[in-house]
Amino acid sequence: MAIRNKNSVNRRNFLKSAAVGAAAISAVPGVPAASATPAPRVPAAFPISPEAELPSSPAEILTTDRSGSDFMVDVIKSLGIEYVCANPGSSFRGLHESIINYGGNRSPEFITCCHEESSVGMAHGYAKIEGKPLLVMAHGTVGLQHAAMAVYNAYCDRVPIMIIGGNLIDATSRISQVEWAHSVQDAASILRDYVKWDDLPISLTHFAESTVRAYKMAMAPPMLPVLLIVDGELQENPIRADASLEVPRLTPTAPPVGDSGAIEEAAKLLVSAQNPVLIAGRSARTPAGITYLVELAETLQVPVIDQMDRMNFPTRHPLNQTERSRELISSADVIVGLEVNDFWGAVHSFRDQMERTSRPIARSDAKTISINSANLFVKSNYQNFQRYPEVDIDIPADTEATLPALTEAVKRNLDASRKSALSDRRAKLAAAHDETLQRTRDAAAYAWDASPVSTARLSAELWNQIKDEDWSLVSTVGFLSRWPLRLWDFEKSYHYIGGAGGYGIGYNAPASVGAALANRKYGRLTLNIQCDGDLMYAPGVLWTAAHHRIPLLTVMHNNRGYHQEVMQVQIMADRHSRGIDRAKIGTTLTDPHIDFAKLAQSMGVYAEGPIADPKDLAPAITRAIQVVKRGEPALLDVITQPR
Amino acid sequence: MTTFIRIAAKKVKFAAFTLSLAFTCSARLQARPPADPQNGKAVFEKLACFRCHGSAGEGMSQPSSAGKDSGPPKIASTHLSLQDFVHTVREPRGQMPPFGPKQVSDAELADVYAFLQSASLQKKIELPSTANSQNGEHFYNAFGCYECHGYQGQGSVQTGGSRLGPPQIPFSGFVTYVRQPAGQMPPYTAKAVSDAQLADIYSFLQSRPQAAPSKSIPLLNK
Repeated sequence: MAIRNKNSVNRRNFLKSAAVGAAAISAVPGVPAASATPAPRVPAAFPISPEAELPSSPAEILTTDRSGSDFMVDVIKSLGIEYVCANPGSSFRGLHESIINYGGNRSPEFITCCHEESSVGMAHGYAKIEGKPLLVMAHGTVGLQHAAMAVYNAYCDRVPIMIIGGNLIDATSRISQVEWAHSVQDAASILRDYVKWDDLPISLTHFAESTVRAYKMAMAPPMLPVLLIVDGELQENPIRADASLEVPRLTPTAPPVGDSGAIEEAAKLLVSAQNPVLIAGRSARTPAGITYLVELAETLQVPVIDQMDRMNFPTRHPLNQTERSRELISSADVIVGLEVNDFWGAVHSFRDQMERTSRPIARSDAKTISINSANLFVKSNYQNFQRYPEVDIDIPADTEATLPALTEAVKRNLDASRKSALSDRRAKLAAAHDETLQRTRDAAAYAWDASPVSTARLSAELWNQIKDEDWSLVSTVGFLSRWPLRLWDFEKSYHYIGGAGGYGIGYNAPASVGAALANRKYGRLTLNIQCDGDLMYAPGVLWTAAHHRIPLLTVMHNNRGYHQEVMQVQIMADRHSRGIDRAKIGTTLTDPHIDFAKLAQSMGVYAEGPIADPKDLAPAITRAIQVVKRGEPALLDVITQPR
Repeated sequence: MTTFIRIAAKKVKFAAFTLSLAFTCSARLQARPPADPQNGKAVFEKLACFRCHGSAGEGMSQPSSAGKDSGPPKIASTHLSLQDFVHTVREPRGQMPPFGPKQVSDAELADVYAFLQSASLQKKIELPSTANSQNGEHFYNAFGCYECHGYQGQGSVQTGGSRLGPPQIPFSGFVTYVRQPAGQMPPYTAKAVSDAQLADIYSFLQSRPQAAPSKSIPLLNK
């Protein structure tokens, strides 16, 4: 810990000396106090860092060798943060300059973003590949407001992100109407509903402790974004030469493991079940999480339904029965949810007709078990916690950390005769897996030569050219009928990273660039199948990819509309039996068509398109991959079927 | 009853219990007043059976690559006995969820059974010879069918829109389903789209080719 210097000036003493100074000026004979030449402005009394250098002579000091933000960079470097994503802002100019000069623009390196939503989106994608946060900086007002939706996505998706918001807390230090407009009394309130923790450090030692604490909290399951509001003056004020500052040691928090009694009870239910099923949501935080789930599934020969909020289970493993979800859940006698975001939704169906109805799809006598770290941190206002699930065993714990203990408990409870029965179960499941894959391929053959290009064809053409590479698909696939997940061989943790979490459109493009940034040092071929509506939120991230030489193959799934909303309006028109041919109004992106190739080219990205004939796709993919392999981004604008 | 006995023979340990259950069920069903098809229709709709089996129990099954039908079967004019029908509803196989006595009584199921056997379900709507596939393509796109089913009727697991091109159900069932759809599909009333327009759309879907066998497409075998 830093030891406070005995010569430091505390707030009360500084106020006293400042008052004396003011009295001396007004006491000059013959000069009215009101018209006296104002004294040079001195650092404000609040927040005051005890480590800050204060004027000790009447001569105006205009430079400094070491500012508070230099020490902040020391703290940030101690955490191993590789990048800082930011759109520049004056409220954190001190930290910005220290990062690029004092810090040498290395770990962290400054990544220039064109929108704070892009900054956070990049951090979101990066964290899901790298397993740790990068830093985002933003104005405490307009920057955090821009960033808000992306932070909410990360919060819903349980992703760690470090955010620093700049602010000018002392009203008398604001030098322009702009700084007044960009200052805020409680900046963290903008995001407080959907960050795990926030703080407002008022000294450098306070900053150091809060930054390390914030990192530690962000990385403890459930992982979530954290926020620090850092005063501009705390960044810019000089550090006293004799100030004693230390960077606190980071001790990672061990992930919470489930209660041993509950694990034993769950294991006994699983072993005795005739038709158990595992549902995985975000069960794998690291590559080990996949291994643990495979071991549990193979020990029990139990089917796994992977909701793919993360890459949890190999898609071509014979026990992967994701496409048979409804059938398996409805016949299961034991259902286990592993970090499932919406357990209630997994065991119920919902019908969106005039009367919204739901009904259980699970057997009424089915035993349900939930292991979920989300139960360890729930906030009230935003309703992402989903409908209350009635479960028989609720284990509030990190699934990845709990699975080894559960598997061991299962092994203890398995006898030889039971193992034999499980072997028969595997054979049946393997046959069902093969049959499902064949059915999927049969379905993909429909509209194979259609123009616009079918999403199945798009996926198959891509797979053909990447399957022998070290590839990483970093975009969500829900909007293209999940074809890649159904046709490709997903196996490694970085093969897929899930979606936005909060379903906020605008996530995909920046998250893909962020994920590609993380993949760059591993030499992976990063792929992004990009929806048109999503890219139009903040297309400037393409420039960021080009500027920072981030290799990324973006293939547009350009169905020329916000297609989900086309369908929503269609439902309303059909329900009212009127204007059923008008659902495109306000929901499509036509007249004029957006030329995404030109858009990308304007920002320095190699691009081709529009491609509407499926026969033109393969050679275009080949050319684009060559560009990406040279270390640059490339984009193909493919005109596609709706889903 | 024969189904019960077959099951009982395979599972000797549970034979007594199963037979007992069957006789109890049978006795209850025989003791009640004659079944009421009208109430059966109401129960059929209340339980949302139509979501999977269609408004008239015509089913949604499609042939799979293995040559077998898959999906919810036709249950109108079912060949099952009443007892087997009740047993299937209570303990279904495949994807169908079970419906316990708390959700629907045996008496109500007897009404549903009567509804499914009623002659009114057999009414057919013939595809008019004037149906025009070119007009149908226009209506198919203009009325938003493509939104869930794709421009070629290929379907989508994401939207829940089933494969329609070419259609797997007769025109009569197609019209019935469009008017009173199951699941998430929004209803298209006669006020919004006429039978003649539906006939054109059906004709367009009929003109969609069957897909080539996936085994003949190298990219689908990687």
